[in-house]
Amino acid sequence: MNHFPQAWGRPRDDVYGAYDASYLHDQNGPKAHTQSPIVTGTSVVAMKFKDGVVIATDNLASYGALARFTNVKRLRQFNTRAVLGFGGDVSDMQYLDRLLSSLSIRENYSAYASSADSADATEASAELNAKNLHTYLSKVMYKRRSDFNPLWNAILVAGLDGDGKPFLASADLLGSTFSAPSLATGFGAHLAQPMMRRVVPNEAAVANTTREMAEKAVRDAMKVLFYRDARSMDRYSIAIVSKEGGVEMMEDEQLEGQSWAFADRIRGYGTQVN
Amino acid sequence: MDALVAQYSRPAFADEAAVSDDQLELAQSMPPLSLKFALPPVAQPSSWLRSMTDDYSNPNCPIKIAHGTTTLAFRFQGGIIVATDSRATAGNWIASQTVKKVIEINKCLLGTMAGGAADCQYWLAYLGMQCRLHELRHKRRISVAAASKILANLVYSYKGMGLSMGTMCAGVTPQEGPALYYIDSDGTRLAGNLFCVGSGQTFAYGVLDAEYRYDLTDQEALELGSRSILAATHRDAFSGGFINLYHVKEDGWVKHGFNDTNPIFWRTKLEKGEFSNVTADIE
Amino acid sequence: MGSIFQGAPIPEGPGYSFRETPAVRQAPGPSSAAGERQHGFYPYTDNGGSTLGISGADFAILAGDTRSTSGYNINTRYAPKLYKIGGDAPDTPPIALSVVGFAADGAALAERLDTIVKMYRYQHGKPMGVAACAQRLSHLLYMKRFFPFYVAAILAGLDESGRGALYSYDPVGSYEREQCRAGGAAASLIMPFLDNQVNFKNQNVPGSGQGHALEPRKPYDLPRGTVEELVQDAFTSAVERHIEVGDGLQMMIITRDGIEEVYRDLKKD
Repeated sequence: MNHFPQAWGRPRDDVYGAYDASYLHDQNGPKAHTQSPIVTGTSVVAMKFKDGVVIATDNLASYGALARFTNVKRLRQFNTRAVLGFGGDVSDMQYLDRLLSSLSIRENYSAYASSADSADATEASAELNAKNLHTYLSKVMYKRRSDFNPLWNAILVAGLDGDGKPFLASADLLGSTFSAPSLATGFGAHLAQPMMRRVVPNEAAVANTTREMAEKAVRDAMKVLFYRDARSMDRYSIAIVSKEGGVEMMEDEQLEGQSWAFADRIRGYGTQVN
Repeated sequence: MDALVAQYSRPAFADEAAVSDDQLELAQSMPPLSLKFALPPVAQPSSWLRSMTDDYSNPNCPIKIAHGTTTLAFRFQGGIIVATDSRATAGNWIASQTVKKVIEINKCLLGTMAGGAADCQYWLAYLGMQCRLHELRHKRRISVAAASKILANLVYSYKGMGLSMGTMCAGVTPQEGPALYYIDSDGTRLAGNLFCVGSGQTFAYGVLDAEYRYDLTDQEALELGSRSILAATHRDAFSGGFINLYHVKEDGWVKHGFNDTNPIFWRTKLEKGEFSNVTADIE
Repeated sequence: MGSIFQGAPIPEGPGYSFRETPAVRQAPGPSSAAGERQHGFYPYTDNGGSTLGISGADFAILAGDTRSTSGYNINTRYAPKLYKIGGDAPDTPPIALSVVGFAADGAALAERLDTIVKMYRYQHGKPMGVAACAQRLSHLLYMKRFFPFYVAAILAGLDESGRGALYSYDPVGSYEREQCRAGGAAASLIMPFLDNQVNFKNQNVPGSGQGHALEPRKPYDLPRGTVEELVQDAFTSAVERHIEVGDGLQMMIITRDGIEEVYRDLKKD
């Protein structure tokens, strides 16, 4: 402990060594775990509408700047009431996929048992809903961050909560969680989120948003992301979760109606040569 | 066979999500003042902790821990005077002006608080618990020497982990008479007549050393303690707020107020003519 | 101090100059024992926002904005920072907790405290008092002394005599009972306002004299209406001057009758 008045009570360099600022910055030092993502997926975008949620990701897995795998599905259906979208590290996504499979087996086994016991309990109500799933995932993520062994993902959970209302929430590698009428991870937080917020600025606006409006907003957002996100692709997956339709998963969509007219006006950021 | 199957069919994810130990701990009815601390899972936890919390080496460190600051205690013929300021700072931010830096361990023992506010509060509470247990086991009050040693041994076992505390234990017991010990987070434990601890210690020592005599009367001693803290709050930016004054006597401690420094400063200046470096003119 | 006697090599000798500046190592050092986990992952983020608590004669108010940010992005406009503690059984004394800083740590902390208070009730057959709850929270924070929760917490409730009780905490668990406290991103904007308006700091009794004879105004228990207005004013002002504060104001008013929750809109720009 330092006894000089100006630094009284603070650690002394000759006891603790020099102050090591490198702990404050990401990605330093040797690595033992996923301390930085390797093969990555870019944005996940999702928004609520009056009776469900639309969620989309593209089908690309990048290796740095290289568009390495072009047919990776980053949406995962959990059951008839929940779909997850993964951004970030693909290996961690696959680990979570296995984790969720085991959870799903366990839950279905016990859910069947409990619903068989009581006559009035329907099979669906005993199942995990999107909200339960999100709580579970956020705990997994928070525990892993507390072990300094994070799952390097940003996850959106879309679906229906216990009351059959639309549910959309995010969980990320730090265990942070939040919920909003529209959510987007990664680059989408900058580009897609403003577009979706125009349609659903708040919870009240969700009630006036039809499935068609939401689907269009999300597809438009995917298009804009493809225009400007260098790690994105024009083939994407989109899923719509609603009470009536359950989960409608479309895994091989093509961006339509692209217009690259704006590209003509881009003059780059360096010296203007022509 | 079933056990064998269970063992090998257990999913690889058994340790994901909340650990059952953690949950069991929450369910305990009487959690002890536990010595089980969560550590950051890195090779050098203390170095990691320092990078997050050392606001002197890095004023922009993310977690600013409240630090306490000028405290003093001295022995004299009438017992022990304990005096502190009341400011807690987190970086340059004054986190509080009303911190109680004298911790009443029991009715005859006082502890003071300088350094990490949480460290002092927690470990002096722990000490209070140990002192009470000692009383129950041995049917007499713990000596100040023993109490201070419990604390010194305890913090010594955490040496190098990043605790920060400079504390004084003051008490009067039949065996020892008035006894005063200084303990800090390095594990130092010193008996003495007079200590000042904290970033304002030098200023307090200046006044205290100049005026201190063992045969001070009670009134003079209280006045000196208060005046020394006042000097420190005047010259040390990390000290200020209120002056917390205690007098430890044979039959326990007596509190002599928690008074704002500002009116005391002006009274000292205007009535006694001290602090002539400061102008008294108010436009 | 003790380290001087340890015989450890002191790199540049013990500095005796007041101008001594701490050595700062920027580059990561050589790797230590293989197989040990190394850093390279920064486990915190700041989700912004601000909280505020004021206690009165028979009530306490906790308030927090509902914006959640990461960097310059707004995650969501509604992420509550206030948590009810101990469930809502009829004779449970109302306790609320506000946490600001790293939201995931905050949620984990609130959940633990809530569990503890509920377990206490279950095991002791009586509800936990606010003073006990406050000390338990301090210990919860201190248990993570070496890997702190990145949060500024404020706990509010009613003490055994029915007065408003407000406890504020630093990230590692030092705590104090106070009249008022602001925490989080805009604490430095709100706290001086509270000092002036709740504790009447730097206010004098008009006409009580000139110069040194001026008498400072004595603080008294503010009525609930006044306190609610102060909270509202503090937040509308903070929203004007801090980018991480805005969207909505959530208030919990703790009285003998329970916890009353109020939500008001704040500017969303």
